Amino acid sequence: MGTLEHRFDDNLITTKLDTVLTWARENSLWPLGFGLACCAIEMMAASASRYDIARFGSEVFRASPRQADLLIVAGTVTKKMAPVLRRLYDQMPEPKWVISMGACSNAGGPFPTYSVLQGVDKIVPVDVYVSGCPPRPEALLYGLMRLQDKIRRENTVLRRKQVIKLGSTDPVPAVEDAT
Amino acid sequence: MNRVARFLRSILLVDLIQGMLVTLRYAPQPAFTFQYPAERRPVAPRFRGILRLQVEPETGAPTCIVCDQCARVCPDDLIALGGHREPGQKIKILDYFDFNLSRCSFCGLCAEVCPTRPIKALIMSEDYELGSYTRDRQVLRIDEMYDGLPIENYVR
Repeated sequence: MGTLEHRFDDNLITTKLDTVLTWARENSLWPLGFGLACCAIEMMAASASRYDIARFGSEVFRASPRQADLLIVAGTVTKKMAPVLRRLYDQMPEPKWVISMGACSNAGGPFPTYSVLQGVDKIVPVDVYVSGCPPRPEALLYGLMRLQDKIRRENTVLRRKQVIKLGSTDPVPAVEDAT
Repeated sequence: MNRVARFLRSILLVDLIQGMLVTLRYAPQPAFTFQYPAERRPVAPRFRGILRLQVEPETGAPTCIVCDQCARVCPDDLIALGGHREPGQKIKILDYFDFNLSRCSFCGLCAEVCPTRPIKALIMSEDYELGSYTRDRQVLRIDEMYDGLPIENYVR
């Protein structure tokens, strides 16, 4: 997508293409199977038949980061695991998103110690923080829907980029870049 | 004899049909999947969701007496609250209540120690839909503590 992304002005073809690409992106978020602690149990429950994450197009838990779009950081990220997590994130192809699931990966949780990373956003950019200890499978699905809302507001081929301001949920058009 | 019987079994697909019968026996039951955004399953009676402050149901007056017990009992020091005392009054009035949701493990100790009767000022509510785009939004101020987080439902 490097030759296409954010390179076109608004006209009928590009806006429709943008809509289609955004629709395809938000409904086929393939997560990377990356469970670190007890939150992974809830992530497995969300993908099982009771909650069925396949209704949102995210049932394909990939074993390889090269085939994944979404990194669900489910569990405590220790400082020993942090370089591995960063490498897996780097190996994922663009576009990629990150959901931080649970109190441990949001902020370190109940482990303010020397060996636990205090928040996964210190090493990877996080799109949605899902709170809970662990979050219910519904809460993970809610976080996934929030991520889909966010992707729906983004542009893929259009030049103008939309950013979501801190604290607000409405997108604000950013200043157009000169390129 | 044994070889003939095995040959007939494999020709007539007996094992396959037996297996398919087991599968078909489970087919008529209703769908097990629970359509989350459309229907919300009731939570368990002692479910611990997001913290919430309560008011008196009739008058709407705040019930918190600023005793600071919830902030002391919290194992991760996530609650910071304060109030002032009007001159001539004995009771304290709550000014601010900051709750840092990001580290909270929903243990419920804060709601357990809350001493106000009969309306508990601090309860664990039934809301679990907690997702935010930034870490700043995870510190709840006092107005969000009364009404809960503004939950944005899924819209198409």
